[in-house]
Amino acid sequence: MATVRRKSGKPLQVNPHKLSQPMGATLAFLGVDRCMPLMHGGQGCASFTKVMFTRHFCEPIALQTTAVNDVIAVLDGGDYSILESIKNIHDKVAPELIGVHTTGLTETKGDDLRGVASKIDVPLVYVNTPDYQGGLESGWTLTTQALIDQLTEPCDRVDAQKIVLVPHVSLQPIEVEKLRDFIESFGFKVVAVPDLSSSLDNHLGEKQASLSSGGVTVAELKQLADAAFVVTLGASVKPVGATLQKKNPAIQHRHFDHVNGLQGTDALVAWLLETSGRDTPPPVVERWRKRLQDAMLDSHFSIGQTRFLLVAEPDHLASMAASLREVGGKVALAISTVDSPILGDIEADQVIVGDLEDAEKMRDAYDLIIGNFHTEALAHRVAKKAVMRGFPNYEEVGIALKNDLLYEGGAYFLFEIANAAERMREELVHHERERIKLQGAA
Amino acid sequence: MSSKPKIKELLVESACEHNKSKKGSCNAPTPGATTGGCALDGAQIALFPFADAAHLIHGPMSCVGGAWETRLTPTSWSGRDLTQTGFATDINNNDVVFSGEKKLAAAIDHIVANYAPEAVFVYSTCVPAMTGDDIDAVCKQKSEQHGTPCVPVHAPGFVGAKNLGSRIAGEAVLKHLIGTKEPEETTPFDINLIGEHNNTGELWRYRHLLEELGIRVLSTFSGDGRIASIRTAHRAKLNVIVCAKSLVSMTRKMQEQYGIPWISCSFYGKTDTSKSILAIAEALGDADLIERTRALIAREEARLEEKLIPYREIFAGKKAVLNTGGNKAWSIASALQDLGIEVVATSVRKSTEADKAKAREYLGENAILMTSPATQQAKVIDDTGAHLLLAGGRSLYTAIKKRIAFTDVNQEKKKSYGGYDGLLVLAEDLKNSLQNPVFELVDRKAPWQQ
Repeated sequence: MATVRRKSGKPLQVNPHKLSQPMGATLAFLGVDRCMPLMHGGQGCASFTKVMFTRHFCEPIALQTTAVNDVIAVLDGGDYSILESIKNIHDKVAPELIGVHTTGLTETKGDDLRGVASKIDVPLVYVNTPDYQGGLESGWTLTTQALIDQLTEPCDRVDAQKIVLVPHVSLQPIEVEKLRDFIESFGFKVVAVPDLSSSLDNHLGEKQASLSSGGVTVAELKQLADAAFVVTLGASVKPVGATLQKKNPAIQHRHFDHVNGLQGTDALVAWLLETSGRDTPPPVVERWRKRLQDAMLDSHFSIGQTRFLLVAEPDHLASMAASLREVGGKVALAISTVDSPILGDIEADQVIVGDLEDAEKMRDAYDLIIGNFHTEALAHRVAKKAVMRGFPNYEEVGIALKNDLLYEGGAYFLFEIANAAERMREELVHHERERIKLQGAA
Repeated sequence: MSSKPKIKELLVESACEHNKSKKGSCNAPTPGATTGGCALDGAQIALFPFADAAHLIHGPMSCVGGAWETRLTPTSWSGRDLTQTGFATDINNNDVVFSGEKKLAAAIDHIVANYAPEAVFVYSTCVPAMTGDDIDAVCKQKSEQHGTPCVPVHAPGFVGAKNLGSRIAGEAVLKHLIGTKEPEETTPFDINLIGEHNNTGELWRYRHLLEELGIRVLSTFSGDGRIASIRTAHRAKLNVIVCAKSLVSMTRKMQEQYGIPWISCSFYGKTDTSKSILAIAEALGDADLIERTRALIAREEARLEEKLIPYREIFAGKKAVLNTGGNKAWSIASALQDLGIEVVATSVRKSTEADKAKAREYLGENAILMTSPATQQAKVIDDTGAHLLLAGGRSLYTAIKKRIAFTDVNQEKKKSYGGYDGLLVLAEDLKNSLQNPVFELVDRKAPWQQ
């Protein structure tokens, strides 16, 4: 297994790919229908976040700020800025939910969020997400827990057909939809929490970014506790299982680190068959498994001779590495944003918490890079190629519709990576031939 | 002594006309109803184009995470492009409780050892500003130790908006860099370009014309800028502010300290580019230079006109609504007019008083100055029969609903519309928009709706 370095050991980040905890919280709130995420901090905290997600998803993003300034920072305990914000938001729109999440600024001054929230009579969920702790994954998870903690009503019966699905933050909107449809095709009803599949899935709607335009509804959130199962996907959201079980101990928790590749999907299907009592999956699932098997054989030659650098959030690293390993891809180096229990299980030669300066220094270890848009410039510097995955990606369109999971997405993923690796080698061969020709002419 | 600028002084700029009627500035943002970046964002925008300097954000990842490597400000600097290199101390719990000064000092050491920058800009952020990290002391000590200027930039986000951050950046450069070095030679026609960030290469659309005239760009703040040059900026004969009201304080102070006069220019469109080049020549006050400038303008305009001929027919009779911020309200309008497009409305939501007056002057009496474009623009399109909406991405849906062409003119555009040649790029983009069927097609009724 991999050697794991859990601390960067540097006094700074150079060319960072780490994103902040409040950013993860914002994204989770955007997976709740008609929600207004309200970031409790300076106006820049929300602005940087809004600009990032707007550019990444090519969609308007609903997000407001309590706009704490230097005077407020000293004089106010959060009461004024939060209450005033809620009043001003309600003057313009009528959100089903306001999602208050803190930042380093307001945590440093020590606002009593719970106290302030108790004075507010509009639907509101609050969560403490200082940006000097954690990262994108923890912000997403803490918010998901807060949504359940503060909204879900306790229940003492279960609906045998109902499953609550908790995806990790790096899943694209379409992946959440594919997963829900997949599970439902076995006869279940699925509620995803949070659910970006209908809010940030690049659909044309009347979007002026006044509120989130889709996602799990507040009514659904209130009634989560009659689910028979909670399925968590990704190590970062595993604790959400227990959060929901507190509302109804009869809920069974099933966890998957990922559902990518043949074995990852097989594990989910095995559980679905067992739980549903069915002998066989729907025909389309069988068909896609055969296509993935074929894709694995078609792509193994290219991927099997390629050494990879993966740059992503911990759960995303685990899923991509698993897919590549199944066809012989050598994950030479996986660079994580933050520490996570999953890092030790990632199928790679070396796993580190680090930045793209680390990637640059270790350039001899890998051929092809998979990571966010910053790895494109990295690829130029180290004369390699990059395939874009993860946050943020400002270079490409259609990211929300990229599907890498289950049998179907797994096949597409392998094709894309195999083709990219092949083109990279073609280019090298071409350059080599040109060099030899020039030598011959000289 | 602290190098922190007095925010109040920066907010009331005596060189700004609109401040004469105001007693003070009330800039508190409204909780729950505020958009736009913070002072740190503004300081980054102002200084990041210095590609030979490292830009170290002393703060958590929200302050830099999604924002580095997003500046479209190219450089001709032959060393590593530090504009596109992200540096952040990524402060954690420990730094909040026990101070982040040691970490900051070590981070500067790391940068100097590995990247050998000409200077290090150290940006304070809200959290270390609250915990009281002494950034001035760290910068002073490291400047002396490494012989590389380490410049503290006190623009934590909570002091104000982007515009203020830009002014704070100007203050930092004025205090710590300008006047710290003498140029190897001077000419009678040395100028500084202030506020020209070389966004998408805009500076490169006209700098060669200045050089052809013998006007030397001694330094820029900060597009394609060099630290070595900005340190000599006090020897320029003229400061030229390019589309940046926020830096008036900086040029006024340079006038007071070094006797450098300043003028304000825009290089959008043919008319403004010509006006601006001539204004620079006139301000330098050399009769021969002015003569040669007129000849150059005539030559460039004739060259441009010929290339624009194929577009004239396409744009004839076309009306446009413009929804963009600040000085773009009139500078892009002027460029559109140069192309023969009638600008029937423009947004003045984020414009200063002077920008509003200028917009009225450029657009004429009948044009609509929209103060709330988000709610107004749909109706304005109906009333005026406009064919084209130029705005940021959020307005795309309005154009689709109204089935008119749309062109994105926000900061994320990757091409420069500046100078004479930029007008051709704008013309081509507008032509492509007007001839694209997508805006009519995409909102078509589905088969089950008919």
